Amino acid sequence: MAFAPSDHGSGAALTAHKILIAGGFGAGKTTLVSAISEVRPLLTEEPLSTASVGRDSLAGLPNKKTTTVALDFGRITISDSLVLYLFGVPGQERFWFMWDELAYGALGAVVLADVRRLDDCFPSVNYFETRDLPFIVAVNCFDDAPRYDLGEVRLALDLDEDVPLVLCDARDQASVKNAMIRLVESIAAGDAGLASAQGRSLIIGH
Amino acid sequence: MPPPDSYPPMGRSPVRWVRRDSGPVVRPYAVTGGRTEPADGEVLDIIAVVVAMPGGDTDDDDPQRRTPEHRRILAMCQRQATVADIAAGTGLPLGVVRVLLSDLILSGAVTVIRQRPAGLRPGNDVLQEILNGLRAL
Repeated sequence: MAFAPSDHGSGAALTAHKILIAGGFGAGKTTLVSAISEVRPLLTEEPLSTASVGRDSLAGLPNKKTTTVALDFGRITISDSLVLYLFGVPGQERFWFMWDELAYGALGAVVLADVRRLDDCFPSVNYFETRDLPFIVAVNCFDDAPRYDLGEVRLALDLDEDVPLVLCDARDQASVKNAMIRLVESIAAGDAGLASAQGRSLIIGH
Repeated sequence: MPPPDSYPPMGRSPVRWVRRDSGPVVRPYAVTGGRTEPADGEVLDIIAVVVAMPGGDTDDDDPQRRTPEHRRILAMCQRQATVADIAAGTGLPLGVVRVLLSDLILSGAVTVIRQRPAGLRPGNDVLQEILNGLRAL
């Protein structure tokens, strides 16, 4: 694949970073992404897994082996040369095969939790824990959901002390912004002692 | 239950968006002539940055005739864009955009500026820039 000097197009070479928004079905991922960025649907064609049998009606479509999945896709322009992308990761088990591609090279993730269905976010938490991808858990404060102490939520999630846990209103830009800032701060704090990671990133010219 | 470990990170072994045993190819891949994998075998990252090469919009000597979709993608590449930008902007599925982009890259019309290396975290200066940007929203 050809690589070119960075002087093509408009000005400095664009650097793109991605943050994943994960969580169970209905946890508020779409709402969160739209609260902080301009959202456009991103279509993917995915093989239908056996897990989707019974969920996606295939009546009359005996040869249908793939299904179109729309990802929530948000774009935040930080500067002329730096753009942050948000990807809402489909939470259902049948979409897990997409996660590795989306998590590849990601800065980190926000796992949205709904206290009424806390177990829905267990798979996301497990995923990021096992991949060593920095993440925070944001408890989405639905109007009709009971309020729990964050300590209780941390206990219920069996979440390590160093994983930030925040309350968040996915509809509110300021609230979502604070959650994202918390994530990036924790990434920066975690990286502070990693001289080798710093050195590598300097070599490729960040 | 954790997600399956059998899916390798892309770049090493490209993820197939449609498997070989998928049977009849579905409609979206009609615009790629039924091809579901990039011509050069390299799967572009979802946020790989691409841009059109100067003069790349003339396809007189292009052995593979460009389709309207190729031209739409090429038009979007006149400014630096990510694969995700192009997919969202054209409304074409991600897998289709990857196949068509690889055609344009092979013919020299488009070049890859940045294909993110594995597991690389940016330096704190970049993180600080992101923080400043988020705070300014």
